[in-house]
Amino acid sequence: MPAESILSDDFIRELMNVGDVDIVVGVPTYNAARTVGQVVQAVRAGLLKYFPRERSVIINADGGSRDGTQDLVRAAAISDLSATSDIHALRTLHSISTQYENGPANGVALHTILAASDLLQARACAIVSPESTTLEPEWIERLLRPVFRDGKDLVLPVYRRHKFDGLLIRNLVYPMAKALYGCSVREPYPADFSFSAELGSRFLEQDVWNQEQGRYGTELWMTLWAANAKCKLAQMFLGAKTRREDAPSDLVAAMRETAGTLFCSLEAYSSVWRSSPQLVPAPCSGCEAAISEEHSRLNRKRLHDMFTFGVKELDPVFLSILTPPTHERLKELAELPEDKFAYAGELWARTVYEFAVAYQKAVIGRDHIVQALVPLFRGRAYTFLTENRDASAEMVEQNIEILCQAFEKEKPTLIDLWDGRK
Amino acid sequence: MWQGFIAELSRTMDEILRSFGRFLPRFLEMLLLVVVGGIIAFVLSAIVRSILRLARFDKLSEHTGAAHLLRRTALPSPTEMLARFVFWVAWIGFILVAVSVLPVPWLWPHISDFFVFLPRLIAAVFIVFFGLLGATFFSRAALLGGVNADVPSPRLISQTLRVMIIFFVISLAFEFVGVGSRTVLIAFSLTFGALMLGLAIAFGLGGKELAKKYLERRFAREQYPREARHEHEDELSPL
Amino acid sequence: MAPQDGLWYKDAVIYQVHVRAFFDSSGDGNGDFRGLAQKLDYLQELGVTAIWLMPFFPSPLRDDGYDIADYRSVNPTYGQLEDFKSFLDAAHERGIRVIIELVLNHTSNQHPWFLESRSSQTNPRRDWYVWSDTDTRYKGTRIIFLDTELSNWAWDPVSKQYYWHRFFSHQPDLNYDNPKVREEMWDVMKFWLQMGVDAFRLDAVPYLVEREGTNCENLPETHQIIKDLRARLDTEFPGRMLLAEANQWPTDLRAYFGTGDEFNMAFHFPLMPRMFMALKLEDRKPITEILKQTPEIPENCQWCLFLRNHDELTLEMVTDMERDYMYDEYAKEKSMRLNLGIRRRLAPLLDNDRRRIELMNGLLMSLPGTPIIYYGDEIGMGDNVNLGDRHGVRTPMQWDGSWNGGFSTADPEVLYSPLMLNPVYGYQAINVQSQKRFEHSLLSWMKRLIRIRKATPTLGRGSIQFLYPANHRVLAYMRKLGNETILAVNNLSSKAQAVELDLKPYKGNILVEMFGRNIFPRIGDLPYLLTLGPYQFYWFRLRRI
Repeated sequence: MPAESILSDDFIRELMNVGDVDIVVGVPTYNAARTVGQVVQAVRAGLLKYFPRERSVIINADGGSRDGTQDLVRAAAISDLSATSDIHALRTLHSISTQYENGPANGVALHTILAASDLLQARACAIVSPESTTLEPEWIERLLRPVFRDGKDLVLPVYRRHKFDGLLIRNLVYPMAKALYGCSVREPYPADFSFSAELGSRFLEQDVWNQEQGRYGTELWMTLWAANAKCKLAQMFLGAKTRREDAPSDLVAAMRETAGTLFCSLEAYSSVWRSSPQLVPAPCSGCEAAISEEHSRLNRKRLHDMFTFGVKELDPVFLSILTPPTHERLKELAELPEDKFAYAGELWARTVYEFAVAYQKAVIGRDHIVQALVPLFRGRAYTFLTENRDASAEMVEQNIEILCQAFEKEKPTLIDLWDGRK
Repeated sequence: MWQGFIAELSRTMDEILRSFGRFLPRFLEMLLLVVVGGIIAFVLSAIVRSILRLARFDKLSEHTGAAHLLRRTALPSPTEMLARFVFWVAWIGFILVAVSVLPVPWLWPHISDFFVFLPRLIAAVFIVFFGLLGATFFSRAALLGGVNADVPSPRLISQTLRVMIIFFVISLAFEFVGVGSRTVLIAFSLTFGALMLGLAIAFGLGGKELAKKYLERRFAREQYPREARHEHEDELSPL
Repeated sequence: MAPQDGLWYKDAVIYQVHVRAFFDSSGDGNGDFRGLAQKLDYLQELGVTAIWLMPFFPSPLRDDGYDIADYRSVNPTYGQLEDFKSFLDAAHERGIRVIIELVLNHTSNQHPWFLESRSSQTNPRRDWYVWSDTDTRYKGTRIIFLDTELSNWAWDPVSKQYYWHRFFSHQPDLNYDNPKVREEMWDVMKFWLQMGVDAFRLDAVPYLVEREGTNCENLPETHQIIKDLRARLDTEFPGRMLLAEANQWPTDLRAYFGTGDEFNMAFHFPLMPRMFMALKLEDRKPITEILKQTPEIPENCQWCLFLRNHDELTLEMVTDMERDYMYDEYAKEKSMRLNLGIRRRLAPLLDNDRRRIELMNGLLMSLPGTPIIYYGDEIGMGDNVNLGDRHGVRTPMQWDGSWNGGFSTADPEVLYSPLMLNPVYGYQAINVQSQKRFEHSLLSWMKRLIRIRKATPTLGRGSIQFLYPANHRVLAYMRKLGNETILAVNNLSSKAQAVELDLKPYKGNILVEMFGRNIFPRIGDLPYLLTLGPYQFYWFRLRRI
């Protein structure tokens, strides 16, 4: 399917009116009326303040919202028609919106934005999440400037986050991506990021948009692709990222988007991780103090309960995924009382690798494999919370690095399993 | 008398020998047919196997999720399954044709019945085959879904679902073959009804305590965190 | 001369010229009135209907004639008063009106009035100027020539007092609180009106009166003075016109039209830089926004539009951000900047791009107002930023490729200003004679443009209604007068553009392109789709047949 055909005729007409631009800011949304207005206003302020001379456009790819999300985005436009006399802008700023089909799926939204950005010949494209309510105008500058000024290909964010936020990233995605691909970016699955025109075009050319990674977890796929293609990466500290109070934490969906994408990548990049890849340089400016240590109110007991319950109930499923020794060790672990429970980094790394191989060999339905990892992850999360309960920011960092080393150490296991030697 | 006996005997012997002489070539013919049929069936299955391999049938069925389910039910790969199926159907066909060569007239209608019956049998086999796959798949989906949604006794739910699907599939298969369809339907209804009644009774009367425990566990799990989420507790933040 | 039409200035096409720079008949290196008279045929051929002369009075020429030393005479370099009269008559014979400059606000410090005034504190003419013991009065007043002046007060060592000057310190401000000064200035005007002059461009109008605690600009007292002058003009010389030079925001300028009883015309200063900005940004927003902010003016009044003039391209009426942008885009070299502006001519500003020059002239002629063409811009003359002050845009007119570009027979060394010599803009490359020979030269194109403009009163007098197509690179508007409707569509972009215009109210009309008179499809229910090449513009006359 040619890339352009995902754009509707009406949207093409809107793009025609926008004309060629320097900057595209893409906002993928689905029923985001609560927050998107505030975010696009901040984006607009950022564009006006830091890129007043560049031709910019805000493009919203919506997954079928019915709450007026699109109108809120369109309201950010600055033209001679709208009476926004309090805002002084050198240029017209278009803020357009389109609804893609078969949504919501963030990957399709990204595909739409990429295709639009390519058509408009934008020099740089930033993607911002409608849920980034802490987005400041400066974020736009920090995301786009490295692409403009330093010729970076992909700029990834670093946020000041609570030490127990992003547990799946810190316990699985980051250590695994670092061990396998030398990709040591803090947010490999970014909510707000930017990339150059060239990288955008290369993303578009990839045969991923009809696959699962082209629908969910696409941002992670992009990061891994760029890291493995030796693109110029950079990280920018943006600011605090707080979660919405009532943010849904669908662990299964999150696991699909991250572990699914990571496991899938193993086949494509097997030559990379089989050798010992160099660390992909991703200089970070302002990345200190990225961890905050406020009090957390996570219910650890529940995590432990769900782990033991999962190990017990999913026994037949684990039989076909895990090697007998690992399976045995997990069962032993599940027997331990809460105070003695510790899901060590090595065992976790080994578990993940065995899941990855099972995924590659499709011993059972791939989606089932990913789902089966969820209860085990809860166990690992429990251990992470326990280990770092009183830890300072530096200690948390250290512990994460130790976990990375565990993933590094267990890599031969992965290679053996992959080759069918075990 | 003796001579008469001898004559009768030799006549009988003659008769037997003659009959045997008449039967033997047919029997040899039959044997030949069976052997040749076996060879042809073997060749056919080999052809099917290589065609399926060329067409990467295993890969295809992996994508549809059938292969993992096959493996899960300890069955060989789909290609192998199909090849074996072709072999046996072809060979049985040849054997029946061979048997029909024999001068045993009462067998003939049964043999022709078999050939009429054959397509239905194949269809039934397919139904059972995919039904079993489906049962495994859906029961595991229920199990994983149950575990991750923290539903009590996900295994029980999963197994119940599996048994129900298998029952349903088997009754469907019998319906197709046309054998005792009513019996099977009744059996299915009985089992299902009994199961439901049993559960109702168990939860209502006999297993009052057990049911109570289940309910308590369930509500304790759901209610406690829900309140807590608002007041004391944060949700896990995976991303 | 055609019968007097009181609103003649609404249909006019004005040509701004400096006597000194146009044609030298005497061979002394300076242009003169006899020379100007000789070139009237050229101006008639070009099609202009009025000439605006820059100051030609006797002057020490420290501000290019804006420092007047005698209001009732002609600078001897340009000829005698008689020469001016002959020129005036010759222009009128050709149907060309003449607008002269009058600097009301100040005189030269060489003017006899000032010499008398400064001679002693008790001189009868002492109160013809604004004197003070301190330099702290009128604190709230800005300094206009930031590059050269530190204060609006200058110390006079002779009479030991400070005198007030809004411009250069050699240009003391007249004291309009003095009735004698006001009466004298009306006498000056009457002197020229009686000779036959059609209009005055009054320079530096907002600064006539000073009051403590104000910024000394646009004061009510200033307006009253103008009202008086206008009333006398209308009674004694009907059909004559006053044109205001006041570099102000449109809302502030609006006051200078009064209720149609002050100025007849005023320059629309903020529009001009925005036209250049819109072109560079490839975005119509600056133009539509400033015109939206432009208030309605009385029926008998008119805006004056210009692309370039004898001054710098002034950036006073833009925000800091816009000014920085304009500097970066149009005046990368420091030498191109002067005060708060850019001292360059039209062609170099537009990179000598014929398509952009045409588009800008197209806008000038189709936006509501009376267009002014600065001498030399009709052939695309260049500038010389190495000459001081604004002299770089006041070099001699380039008539042909011969000696001194046909401007003068004097030795090049004695010319009042060096000629343009570079291979791109020099007189051998760019001159009237060579452009006259070709139908597709800029000069020939300008003649066609002016002819169409003059034949279309709607462009001069009609109302304007902007269309806002979604494509912001396209500026489109309707001009309407009576039954006539004109549609102008301008592509501000360097790339081809498609645009959909909502012309539903005009359904059934056929578009007739005004340059080629070809017909375009009839307007239907659907949005009217047009495609425009880079910097292309269309003027359509709507016809219902």
